[in-house]
Amino acid sequence: MVKQRTTLLNLAVETENLGRIYKIHGNAKEKNIRKELIALQDVNLQVRQGELFGLLGPNGAGKTTLIKILTTLLAPNSGRARVAGFDVAKEPGKVRPLINMVSGGESSGYGLLTVRENLWMFSQFYGLPSKQSYERIDALLKMVGLEDRIHTKSSDLSTGLRQKMNIVRGFLTDPQVLFLDEPTLGLDVGASRDVRNLIRSWLNQDQTRTLLLTTHYMVEADELCDRVAIINHGRVLAFDTPSALKQSLQREPLFEIKVSSMNGLNVSALERLPGVRKATSQSVDGLTALNFSVQEEAALAGIINRLTESNIKIMWLNKHEPTLEDVFVNLVGRSMDEIETEESDDEQSESTSRDVD
Amino acid sequence: MNYAEYFRSFKTATWLGWQIESNWTRPFLFAIYSIIKPLAGAAILVVMYSVITQGNFNTPIFPYLYYGNAFYQYVAAIMTGISWSVIDDREHYKTLKYMYIAPINIPAYWIGRGMARFLTGSVSVLITIAFGVLFLHVPLNLATVNWPLFIVALVVGISMLAMMGLILASITLLIAHHFFLIGEAVASALFLLSGAIFPLDVLPAWLRPVGFIVPITYWLELMRRSLIGNVAQAFPTLSHFSNLQLLGILVGLTMIFSIASTFVFRFCDYRAREQSLIDRVTNY
Amino acid sequence: MMNKVNPLAVMSTEKATGWKLFWKTVLARAYPRVMGQQREKSWIFFDIFLPMLAVSAYVFVYRAIHAPEEYIGFVVVGGAMTAFWMNIMWSMSMQLYWEKEQGNLALYIMAPNSMMAILLGMALGGMLATFLRAIAIIVLGSLLFHVQYSIGNFFQLLGVFFAAMTALYGLGMITASLFLLLSREADHLVQLAQEPVYLVSGFYFPIRSFNFWIAAAASIIPLTLGLDAMRQLVFPSGALLGFLNVNVELSILLILCVVFLFGARTLLGYMERLAIREGRLTESRR
Repeated sequence: MVKQRTTLLNLAVETENLGRIYKIHGNAKEKNIRKELIALQDVNLQVRQGELFGLLGPNGAGKTTLIKILTTLLAPNSGRARVAGFDVAKEPGKVRPLINMVSGGESSGYGLLTVRENLWMFSQFYGLPSKQSYERIDALLKMVGLEDRIHTKSSDLSTGLRQKMNIVRGFLTDPQVLFLDEPTLGLDVGASRDVRNLIRSWLNQDQTRTLLLTTHYMVEADELCDRVAIINHGRVLAFDTPSALKQSLQREPLFEIKVSSMNGLNVSALERLPGVRKATSQSVDGLTALNFSVQEEAALAGIINRLTESNIKIMWLNKHEPTLEDVFVNLVGRSMDEIETEESDDEQSESTSRDVD
Repeated sequence: MNYAEYFRSFKTATWLGWQIESNWTRPFLFAIYSIIKPLAGAAILVVMYSVITQGNFNTPIFPYLYYGNAFYQYVAAIMTGISWSVIDDREHYKTLKYMYIAPINIPAYWIGRGMARFLTGSVSVLITIAFGVLFLHVPLNLATVNWPLFIVALVVGISMLAMMGLILASITLLIAHHFFLIGEAVASALFLLSGAIFPLDVLPAWLRPVGFIVPITYWLELMRRSLIGNVAQAFPTLSHFSNLQLLGILVGLTMIFSIASTFVFRFCDYRAREQSLIDRVTNY
Repeated sequence: MMNKVNPLAVMSTEKATGWKLFWKTVLARAYPRVMGQQREKSWIFFDIFLPMLAVSAYVFVYRAIHAPEEYIGFVVVGGAMTAFWMNIMWSMSMQLYWEKEQGNLALYIMAPNSMMAILLGMALGGMLATFLRAIAIIVLGSLLFHVQYSIGNFFQLLGVFFAAMTALYGLGMITASLFLLLSREADHLVQLAQEPVYLVSGFYFPIRSFNFWIAAAASIIPLTLGLDAMRQLVFPSGALLGFLNVNVELSILLILCVVFLFGARTLLGYMERLAIREGRLTESRR
């Protein structure tokens, strides 16, 4: 899908040296446990009106803290933030009619009310006329495939269906700036795809709408976002379009060729070919996978010729593009999974010395 | 019955219940709470009594109602402690479903969770009695206390209350969050029917028989008799029962409630599973 | 039926603001409570029948100590009014805390409505059960215990009742605002507040029994003067056991209405800002 949104001059979201520190509440026994957590540090972002902006980072990076500040639920300790032109700390009353938020894994609403009733109730808090509200609810539920559960009590919904209801709640009030904090958490592949389609359609309907999406699924950010900020340990590490971020990482084309066998040809011979910087090989599923880093794409022709001359059958050829994961690893030094595993181990060892609260 | 599983469930639940009950605030505020709450409850009755009798605390009815009220705190504490844990786990912590799929004994778990309230209830009872003895001349001579009767009656009584709490906890599985004070509500209702603060003879004749089948009636009478002997026996309601007879009735009723709690639990447990209520969150 | 609405298009109709939004919010927040009570009726037994038994216990205490019959009436009226105190403490203040834990509070704060509207909606939603409880206790208690009433000025009685309720709910909003900051101590503080309030507000005996200064201090709780005035107006000997003249008590209640409602508005705003600053709105520190 070609992203055709015009970037306008107005900034939907703007932060300037934004910082937030959390105090950790413990008890007298916890003398050696840290007392403060720096959740955000010197965050400077500009999100243009009409943009689908992604905030990417591992668990605990500060994404949710940033969203809470922008949605007026949390005050920053330093710096400032503006949403739709209004200061979130000084003018929250002016921000709130223009925004909405959906979090992943949300359990909001009331179990004894039906899906329709829950959504109607929330629409009333934004002043929607009841008639229009019901029409919008019915239409949105149909878009997310929940129309047959409209009269089901929300306590009877599965996690995924409940999340769909929450997503509808976010779009229902027609916000100018919509914050989605890991919205596809708990959704299956098909439902996640539906949500992504919904997001694109919603933005396409009106150029003044802006959407800020946090996720730790790189593929989702790559697919959807106009621009992405990568955040870790409360700091924004990089901030650009996905393709620009990927291009910044890779200057040389990379190719992967799978062959049936090498027929005695040595990899070092391939590395000596004109235009080839580096060649490596490894066994994969009974085939030999050759990885080439070349100075320019034209060098590929030489590689193929050499393989053909050696009667080597080429099974598969792929040009390798760097992913946002690669960008992240390059910036942080470790993959998202490695960071989350490490932090989970740290939290476990800390929690054994804390009392249950 | 798998005793090891029962004991493991009870022990872990007791630890958990104490963790939840004991560290919700700083020790100073906890102490204030533990002192003010029981005394305020007792003070309502004391003021009511004082207004009518012009402050004459030397009648037998005063220690009757004072001790009755003091020990009745166990009733609310234990019944609430046990039944509340169902609401707390299901609606707030959302862990009830995990307890259910674990290899534990659920009734033992619930009783264990209620133990913390028994402990804090004990502190309330002690404070109330101490205040009464020191400032309101409530009679108590430690030398004449019938300690064996006191201890046996206390143990049997607490077991009886635990069984009643279990019945309430089972019922709580089936009801929505809006009735979160079921333990206190039932305890408040039984306040009328258990001779806690007035002899059963004061009740209309048609209501008295209900009091005689409530085991709390016999328990409170035994507690009074163990502490203040003849003063407690000044009232005609249960005066023709000996201590042993009262104890026998209490044990018998405790066993009946124990059997009833088993059946009620099984029924409610089945219904809750059938209607998918174990992990229901209804909060509104 | 084919739905021709495009829910992704910009809404053409204006959203409500100001007082219209306030009342929409009140009704919307009352809705879950009302519907919940319709869909699960166990509260009828636990919330009406059982409290009646508890009130009866205090009646029989008075009978056991041979109190004059008007004290029975005091207990019945006082017992009925406990329903309103319970409504504001549990259905409003404590409920707000549970909303925080559930995640709904964040959504309420983020919406362009007023927290006062949310709280009023919670209270109104519980009003059906509250009124039923109060009426049941009055009617059943009066019938069972042969309570005799002598209502002098019905409109004055109504005025006292509504003034007391307005002030009481203002006080409830003030306590609810404190709950924005609280964690698990909220539950215990509500329980702690119960008996002392029943004691000093004279739910079961006339506050004239206390010395003047204690009764005066207790008058900050609207139910204290509300109950006292109502008893003076409905019982033949009520005036003899009253604390202050009914008109004085009504005037004080009206002042409390203004003070508490204004205080609630101010404190809710302040507490909300404080909770936002300290990051307490979305914590779920159990």
